[in-house]
Amino acid sequence: MIKLENVSKSYYLGDEEVKAVDNINLTIKEKEFIGILGSSGSGKSTLMHLIGLLEQPTSGRILLEGKDVSQLKDIELSKVRNRKVGFVFQSFNLINRFTVLENVLLPTKYSKEPLPFDPVTRAEELLRRFGISERKSFFPNKISGGQQQRVAIARALVMHPKMILADEPTGNLDSKTGDEIINILKGLNKEFGVTVVIVTHEHDVAAKTYRQIYIKDGQTVDKYL
Amino acid sequence: MKLRNGWLHLVKTALEDFKRNKVRTLLTSLGIMIGVLSVVLLIALGLGLKNYIKGQFESLGANLIIIFPGNISGSEDGGGVANFGSGFAGGAKFDEKDYLNLTRISEADYVAPMYMKSSIVESTTDKKIGSIMGTNEDAFKLMNIEIEEGSVFDKNDVQSRNKNGVLGNNIAEQLFGSPSDAVGNIVRVDDLRIRIIGVAKKKGDREMDNALIIPYRTTFASLNPDKTFFAIYLGTTNEDNVPVVKEKAKDILLKRYKKDEFSVTEQTEILSTVNQIFTIVNAILVAIGSISLIVGGIGIMNIMYATVTERTKEVGIRRAVGATEIDILRQFLTESLLLSLFGGILGLIIASLIVLGIRAFFPASLNLLAVVISFVVSSAIGIFFGVFPARRAAKLPPIEAIRYE
Ligand SMILES: Nc1ncnc2c1ncn2[C@@H]1O[C@H](COP(=O)(O)OP(=O)(O)OP(=O)(O)O)[C@@H](O)[C@H]1O
Ligand SMILES: [Mg+2]
Repeated sequence: MIKLENVSKSYYLGDEEVKAVDNINLTIKEKEFIGILGSSGSGKSTLMHLIGLLEQPTSGRILLEGKDVSQLKDIELSKVRNRKVGFVFQSFNLINRFTVLENVLLPTKYSKEPLPFDPVTRAEELLRRFGISERKSFFPNKISGGQQQRVAIARALVMHPKMILADEPTGNLDSKTGDEIINILKGLNKEFGVTVVIVTHEHDVAAKTYRQIYIKDGQTVDKYL
Repeated sequence: MKLRNGWLHLVKTALEDFKRNKVRTLLTSLGIMIGVLSVVLLIALGLGLKNYIKGQFESLGANLIIIFPGNISGSEDGGGVANFGSGFAGGAKFDEKDYLNLTRISEADYVAPMYMKSSIVESTTDKKIGSIMGTNEDAFKLMNIEIEEGSVFDKNDVQSRNKNGVLGNNIAEQLFGSPSDAVGNIVRVDDLRIRIIGVAKKKGDREMDNALIIPYRTTFASLNPDKTFFAIYLGTTNEDNVPVVKEKAKDILLKRYKKDEFSVTEQTEILSTVNQIFTIVNAILVAIGSISLIVGGIGIMNIMYATVTERTKEVGIRRAVGATEIDILRQFLTESLLLSLFGGILGLIIASLIVLGIRAFFPASLNLLAVVISFVVSSAIGIFFGVFPARRAAKLPPIEAIRYE
């Protein structure tokens, strides 16, 4: 469903060029369950943002269902992010002035078409599934890191996306809860055919995925060293 | 609680934010509040004053033509703006002959000369400044003066220089206690002893209510040794005759005076001059109000820029979950619009309270126009000054925004 062709993303700090993603070729098919593994600073998050159409590449092409995304208008890109992709950010990125429930509901506010489900019922069900329904009226800065992580995952799932991009989804969880999260993602993949991309630096997390992509200095490598 | 992508969500979010930042919200909307307050108040005062003055003129008899010395309207010489001062100082001095000539206009049903002077009016027990008017019996018809007690003087009183007078309602009450007590009594003006034969009904006009109206020939003694008049009033019962009367009056006066030494004006012309003056005054006042509105708008813009910076990360998050640039634009525009409207409504409320408060002693009046203006103007300002910060927010690149701390 998404294809990266010779994609690079550079940042410039003054005159110095930082190649966060360097000439990557990658195809993600529907219903895949992929792990992107790499050490800190290797460019995993940047790659994930490119896959999720949050950033445009400096060079190369990204094809979404065969279409070059650089040709898409803001409204179309936004619609893809809203309906098809669920992001779980490394640093959660919850809005502190909204409650947990309101944060989970946020994507539903930006649907331009009527939703085939009731947003509040859906959000509450997700919070219940992640064991944080009694925190739904709390503000994110009043709950633990692990709880925030689960709120972020609930928000990513609320729109029934076709693809979930999770950046270190277990980074703040104990191994038991971490396993639960991975199992939930695995379940979504198996039962509903949701494409899941998990970014991680942990081998055992990556080992639970069906395909691993190793990244070093912004480039794909054959084996994680 | 099905809040989807509608305005309701935006409004609710904005209101919650205002609740969180009460002081800031209040201070920001203060500029708009003061702007709307001043504009509305100025409209209320200006309009009230205009209505009041119009009412004063309309309480004069209908189809009134007033001949003043000097060039009032200036329209014939292309001067445009009224010039009362020099007109009064340098124009013709009308005398009894002019008045008598004008009475020959057959279409003029009433003709009254008018001598006016402020002077002390004394009863045996009290004294007061009154406006002495020397005129004839037609003046009561011309100026719609109705009698509460006694009667008016007649033609014979004028011819025989009788010392009979009609008092205004206020001055009668002040000098004698009540209108009925005044009738039959004597007042002194200069060395004249005037017998009060009637008291006028209250007119609500300071000058008329403090008037002492006497036959013009009676003033020819010590009060008015020049035997001249301040103005001559002509009236017709038939409105269609007004132009003829004006023309004939001009022809008659031109035999003795130059064109710019007198003016023949209709009541409506004076009204339109008054209107013009108030339109100008109003425009100036509204301009002052507009300046505070603009300053208020800049205040909103300033705060909205700060809000956008403060919420950069939030904008990034919203973009990541599917908000379009337009969605973000709308969010911030809603906020600046509400902020400005809030100030506008506050200004309107305070202006209404002030208008209610001063109603007792000033003819201020609020109208729909003022309400509509406050809503339209504050919305327009909120949108205009909100667009720039909102555009900045909408154009933020999502990931850069998310990384912003
Ligand atoms: N906005 C930016 N400006 C400059 N350099 C950047 C920017 N974003 C990322 N980089 C650089 O790009 C490289 C890759 O960053 P990225 O966040 O993708 O790494 P990562 O693999 O996710 O690391 P981590 O595991 O620590 O999260 C880093 O060297 C980083 O310094
Ligand atoms: Mg990262």
